[in-house]
Amino acid sequence: MNLFTEITKRFHDNIQTYTIILALVLIWALFALMTPNFAYLQPQNFSNLFRQMTVTSFLAAGMVLVIVTGNIDLSVGKLAGFVSVVVAFFQARVWNTVIPDQPVLAASLSVVIGLLTGTLFGILQGYIISYLSVPAFIVTLGGMFVLRGGILIITQGKTIPANQPAFSEIAQGYLPPWAGWVLGIIVVALLFFNMFNSRLRKRKFGFEVASFNIDLLGTIFFSTLVIAYIFIVNRYNGIQVPVLLLAITALIMAYVSNNTRFGRYAYAIGGNREAARLSGINIKRNIFMVFVLMGFLCGVAGVALASYVGYGTTAAGEGYELDAIAACILGGTSTLGGVGTIFGAMIGGLIMASLTNGLQMLNVPAAYQYVVKGAVLILAVFLDVYFKKNR
Amino acid sequence: MDNDIILDFQNVTKKFPGVIALDNVSMQIRRGEIHGLCGENGAGKSTLMKILSGVYPYGSYEGKILYEGRELRLEDRSIRQAIEQGIAIVYQELTLVPGMTVGENIFLGKEPVENGSINWDKLYAETREILTKYKLDVSPQAVVKNLGVGKMQMVEIAKALSENAKILILDEPTSALSKTEIDKLMEILETLKSHGVTCIYITHKLEEFFRITDNVTILRDGKAITTRPTASLNQESLVQNMVGREMKERFPKGNRQPGDVIFEVENLQAVDPNEPSHKVLSGVSFNLKRGEILGIAGLMGSGRTELVTTIFGEYGKITAGTIKLEGKPIQIKSARDAMKVGISLVPEDRKGQGLVLIQAILRNISLANLDQFSGFFRIDQDAELAAATQQGKNLALKASSLQAPVSSLSGGNQQKVVIAKWLLTQPKILIMDDPTRGIDVGAKYEIYKLMNELAENGVSIIMISSDLEEVLGMSDRIVVMHAGRSNGTLEIADATQEKIMALATGIA
Repeated sequence: MNLFTEITKRFHDNIQTYTIILALVLIWALFALMTPNFAYLQPQNFSNLFRQMTVTSFLAAGMVLVIVTGNIDLSVGKLAGFVSVVVAFFQARVWNTVIPDQPVLAASLSVVIGLLTGTLFGILQGYIISYLSVPAFIVTLGGMFVLRGGILIITQGKTIPANQPAFSEIAQGYLPPWAGWVLGIIVVALLFFNMFNSRLRKRKFGFEVASFNIDLLGTIFFSTLVIAYIFIVNRYNGIQVPVLLLAITALIMAYVSNNTRFGRYAYAIGGNREAARLSGINIKRNIFMVFVLMGFLCGVAGVALASYVGYGTTAAGEGYELDAIAACILGGTSTLGGVGTIFGAMIGGLIMASLTNGLQMLNVPAAYQYVVKGAVLILAVFLDVYFKKNR
Repeated sequence: MDNDIILDFQNVTKKFPGVIALDNVSMQIRRGEIHGLCGENGAGKSTLMKILSGVYPYGSYEGKILYEGRELRLEDRSIRQAIEQGIAIVYQELTLVPGMTVGENIFLGKEPVENGSINWDKLYAETREILTKYKLDVSPQAVVKNLGVGKMQMVEIAKALSENAKILILDEPTSALSKTEIDKLMEILETLKSHGVTCIYITHKLEEFFRITDNVTILRDGKAITTRPTASLNQESLVQNMVGREMKERFPKGNRQPGDVIFEVENLQAVDPNEPSHKVLSGVSFNLKRGEILGIAGLMGSGRTELVTTIFGEYGKITAGTIKLEGKPIQIKSARDAMKVGISLVPEDRKGQGLVLIQAILRNISLANLDQFSGFFRIDQDAELAAATQQGKNLALKASSLQAPVSSLSGGNQQKVVIAKWLLTQPKILIMDDPTRGIDVGAKYEIYKLMNELAENGVSIIMISSDLEEVLGMSDRIVVMHAGRSNGTLEIADATQEKIMALATGIA
């Protein structure tokens, strides 16, 4: 097999992934052409674009597994919002009396409280869904109302500031350019190490190993993407801290979904619950854990949200669940369960952010932004259905 | 003479990856007759029906089908189109909406509408008309879920006839019916015949062919062996044509010496966990020896599947009795418990319970075995692949790659994937619930060979089967179930089809 046919085969095997990446590139190109001086893809906007995707993409990273198990979580937006106001409340009202003048400690404690709040709510919802057998749709719909009330109770209908110096770094900070480059070099080195290591292990087990050239080409391709990204964002302020956190989260989640029993079982449960049960999988515990993880990620998103906007507001997290679900679906997660990838959801999240950002730059009124985003979502799924049917 | 033929198959061939489901089938069906279609599982009956109903559309098979002299061209998945042309199927599984009335079901999708709203009086009047015309004894306003299976079947038939079906295909219509219900069905078929409706009748119960059909076509391994007037056949010649070979050929002879008893079930009683008043097992006793193949026979509904799923910890709530493994009483509350003590179950419904169809072969094989490849957190994917590859080789699995979705495989190979999954758990006892259902003869043979090998290596196998010949051909001993009880155990040396049937029907 020569290199070219091998590359086309790879494309063919992962057609859905490449299609969505292509869609992203198209959207970028379109907006770049429509904005003066290609402002859309200039470093400043490029950097902001990725920053804007982070909060909902934390949610999407957890939502993939929720949808994969055949469930849904409508409460994630409000849970992230609730976490954000809880965190803002501690930042503005508690720490300055308990531990004044210790911004780093205060920020760290806020993070812990945020993650705990999210996780606890996840435990509660997960318990009701899996052990008390109330459908997830209903539990999380109810949870959404409860949290909306919770936000009003904590904020008393007012906005709480959360713009303290150390805390703001979480979602507004940047790595200095040199740190970006060091990180870049480490990532590239890891990519190459991983390539050689995986080939070595495959040989040891006596499997067929893909041609060296194609592995090398793939690794070089991803390394170039990483380097190019760092190059661009360094021309603005450097690597964005929240994007870095999101990348780490996404990598961990992707690893969990592929390389752990927990992840595999989630896919099996969504693919065929009965077969999973007869294979000795503890379905209730697995689904419970999926919701706990979702709650934890809502905690992460909530902390990021508070830091990002610098406030805890009554409208915090409004509609984020829809963005998260849309990101998953754009990324190829099947609402029937059993199918979906973290990587796809991240690209889906980026597409949603790219649309929002681009439409804002073009001064499209908010009302029409929703119309466009909704239409794109439906169009994307239609195209997927269409091509699957006519393959 | 020619215009007497309503349906004419000419050299119809249908291939699936790795399997030829229909091999150059030619047969003719006359207008107004009841035409029996007979053959073993996997002989091609259901494929033929799926072509007639448009599930396998025009162009996906080779050859020609003439319907009333014109070529039948059904488009993709357009079952509607088949119905419009007058071809209707009454499936084995009923397809009615349980919460709706008889009339609503019959007119589902074609309700009489006046000024935008349904004319209920007309709907029920027409329903009554159909029901009386064909002497179907059901009330138009009865809610379907309150009817017995036999009446539901009548509603299905009425529904098909309400579309002015010219050809009515009945796929194993009697499998869930009682004797009186079967008698009633036979009467209905006679009535249909007198109204000029052509019927294609598929069943496993040979006596029904002699009772009702005019002509019988025998299918074997995808080929139409012969079409003959039923009167010219008898049970022996029918079976001979169906099987077409000596029993010895079908079942490879193993060379096994069953050892000591390792597993005992005594007076096991269990109830349906969702309906504790419903007893599913009312006293089952048997034992299993090391390296033995124990057949479990019984009619549908005799509690065979309930027995093994209860043993496996995934169905019935045990109310009495003991289960002993290697002399020690064991309690199995879930599949996981069963696997821990070395019991595995290849379930009855391959697609519904055995496989995650959308996932790769590899993931299906490893699904029940991930503990083997996992440390605290991480799955060793290389070890996983190596083990699955080895299983695939041992079972002669035919697949382009272990990464291919399991849905792309033929039935036989899918079943091998299920078996591979369970063998990887290294069971002491392998329970196989109808392991060769719906797979082709070649794959069956390979699975039989595999069972022999396993037994020779000391694995004890419990095999449920609806196919009496299979039970007789493969087992060392046979437990016969009747009405939730074990009604007797036969040594293979003195077991015959007649003795099994006598025990299964409760005569003996």
